[in-house]
Amino acid sequence: MVTQIEVSGLTKEFAVADQTITAVDRVSFAIDKGEFVSVVGHSGSGKTTLLSIIGGIMKPTSGQVLFEGQDICAFDDDRLSEYRNEKIGFMFQFASLLPMLTAEENVMLPGLFRKSKSAGDQTKVRELLHVVGIGDKCDVYPSQLSGGQQRRVAIARALMYDPRVILADEPTGDLDEETENDIMQLFKGLNRERQITFIFITHNLELAGMAQRTLRMTRGNLREA
Amino acid sequence: MKAEFTFSSLALRNLKRKPLRSVILIIAIALLVSALVFSLSFVRRVSSGIRLASERLGADILVVPAGSRGFAEDVLLENKAKSFYMDKGIIEKLKAIPGIDSLTYQTYLTTMQGLCCDVPETVVVAFNQDTDFIIKPWLTEKFGRKLQKGEALVGSESAFNIRVGLVEVDSVLFGNIFRMVGILDKTGTGLDNALFIDDGNLEDIMRKGKTDLKPGQISIVFAKVKKGLDPYKIAGDIEDSFVEVDTMARKDIGKSIITTLRDINYIFIFTMLLICFLSGFLTWAIFSAIANERAREVGIMRAVGAKESHIVFVFFLEVIILGSIGSIIGIFGGTALSIVLAKTFSIMKNLPLHLGVAERFIIGGAGFLVGNGICIAGALSPILKIKKMEPLMAIKKE
Repeated sequence: MVTQIEVSGLTKEFAVADQTITAVDRVSFAIDKGEFVSVVGHSGSGKTTLLSIIGGIMKPTSGQVLFEGQDICAFDDDRLSEYRNEKIGFMFQFASLLPMLTAEENVMLPGLFRKSKSAGDQTKVRELLHVVGIGDKCDVYPSQLSGGQQRRVAIARALMYDPRVILADEPTGDLDEETENDIMQLFKGLNRERQITFIFITHNLELAGMAQRTLRMTRGNLREA
Repeated sequence: MKAEFTFSSLALRNLKRKPLRSVILIIAIALLVSALVFSLSFVRRVSSGIRLASERLGADILVVPAGSRGFAEDVLLENKAKSFYMDKGIIEKLKAIPGIDSLTYQTYLTTMQGLCCDVPETVVVAFNQDTDFIIKPWLTEKFGRKLQKGEALVGSESAFNIRVGLVEVDSVLFGNIFRMVGILDKTGTGLDNALFIDDGNLEDIMRKGKTDLKPGQISIVFAKVKKGLDPYKIAGDIEDSFVEVDTMARKDIGKSIITTLRDINYIFIFTMLLICFLSGFLTWAIFSAIANERAREVGIMRAVGAKESHIVFVFFLEVIILGSIGSIIGIFGGTALSIVLAKTFSIMKNLPLHLGVAERFIIGGAGFLVGNGICIAGALSPILKIKKMEPLMAIKKE
C-alpha cells in the first residue's frame, strides 16, 4: 500500500487566559491511500483539532504532516488553499452551507476558487445531488432543507471535485439512524469504487466499527484502537 | 438559462441579505459624493468663470477710478449695471508711463427702463473704435465695417436676458434711437449682457440729459504692456503716479470674489472632511458587523479552498458595488443641485460661464473616486482582519 498521509510529532497548543492547553500532543501515525479510518474519543480529546491540521485549516504548533510526501505545514496560504481545494473534501459537524446559495451553488462553491472551470460542472452537481438522494432539491436554499438534507448537500460538495481524501467531523452527528446508515453506505461505496481515503470522527462506536481501522484520541494522544 | 455562479453574483447576493444596511451605506455615500460634486462644481465654475473672463478682456492692466475696483468687477464679471467715471485726461497721463504698449477705454452707462430707455436694466458700453482691441477683432472679422452713429451691437446673452437680440430693430437708449445691427460672439465676460455703441454717440446722449455722464468722462482704461514686462510692476507704477485711479492686473480681476471663494472653499473642505470621516466610519462599522456575522461563512469558504485574496475580492466587490451605486446617485444629485442652486446663488447666477460636459465628467469622476475610496478605506480594516483569521477559528467564531 502507498502511504498518503504521514503525521509525525504533531503538537497543537492553545493559549487560554494564562494557561496553555495541549490539544494534540506529539501525535504520529500514517494512513495509506484508500483507507477508511475512524477516529474516536471523548469530547475535547483533540479529534477535531487533529483533523483540522491534516485538512490544512489550522496550523500546528510543531510537527509535520506529509501529504503524498509534501509537508503541508510548510505551505504558504495560497498553496495551502489549493491543497484544501484540490485534495481535500471537508464535512463539518455543523451545518456548513452558505445560506444565500442554492443547494446546487453550494456544491459548486469550491469550483469558484479553482483556476480551471469545467463546462460539465452543472451536470456533475445534479448527478451528485441525485446520488446523495436530493436530486429534486437543486434550486432550494439551505433554510428550506432539513438537517439531513443539508448534510447531503455538504457531502455532495465534498465529493464534487474528486478529492483524494475526505475528512468528516461527525458527519452523521444529528441524523436519524436510517439516514446515518445511508450516508455511511455511500461513504463505503465511494471509498471502494473511487479509492478515496476517508477519515471520519464519530462518537458512535458502531459506526467506527465500519472502518477498516479505528484510531482513539485521549487527551491529545493517539493510539490504535 | 441559469445565471452563472461568479464572485460578482456571490457579492450581490450577500448585499441583498441585509437590504436596509446596504441602502443606508448607499445613501451615506450618495450624500458625500453629491456634496463633493456640488462643492467642486461651485468652486470650479466661479474660479474658471473669473479666469476666463479676465483672459478674454485681452488687457494686461485695467485702470478704474479710485475706489471703483468692485464696480468694475461687477460689470465685467457679473453683469451688474454700475456706472463709475473718471476724467478722460488720464489716458494721456498713462501713455507717459514706461512699458505701456497700447491703451483703449470704455464708458459705461446704465439704462433704466421707462425713464431713459425701452430696454430693461443693463450696461451700455461706449467704446472707441480707433483704439479698441476688445471688440474690434469681432467687428473686423464678422461685421466687416465700423459701427456708425445710431447703431448698436448686442452682447450674445442680451438676446435672452433683455430680449433685444433681434437685429434691425430700433430701441430707445437715453432718448436716442439706436438700430441694433448685430449680435456679438460670446466672450464669457459680463459684457455679454451689454449693448455696445461707438463713443461718438455720447455727445447726443448727454445732450438729452438722461444720464449722469459728464463731458470728458470715461469709466475704464484697458492697457496692454510691452512684451516681457511685468504687469504688476507697471500697475504699481500707475497707482504710485496717479492717486485718482486704482489698477487691476489681469490676474487680480475677480480677486475679491476669489478671496470670498477661498473662505467658502475652507467651509466646503471642512464639511467634506467631516462627511468623509462620517461616511468612512459608517462603512467601517457596517463592514465590521458584516465581517463578524459572516466569520463562519468565510471559514467555510476558506476550508473549501478560498485563498485570502478570494475573500478580500468578494468583500471588495461588495464595497465597490455599494460605493459605485452611491457615487453615481451622488454625482447626479450633486450635479442637479449645482444647476438648481446656481439660480439661487447670485455669484453663480451672474457669472457667464457654465461648466462644460468634459468638466462635469472630471468632477463626476473625482466624486466617483472619492466615494469608492472612502468606502474602501472604511471597509479595509475589517476585511483585512477577517481574511487573516485561521479558517477553523473563523468557523468557530459565533
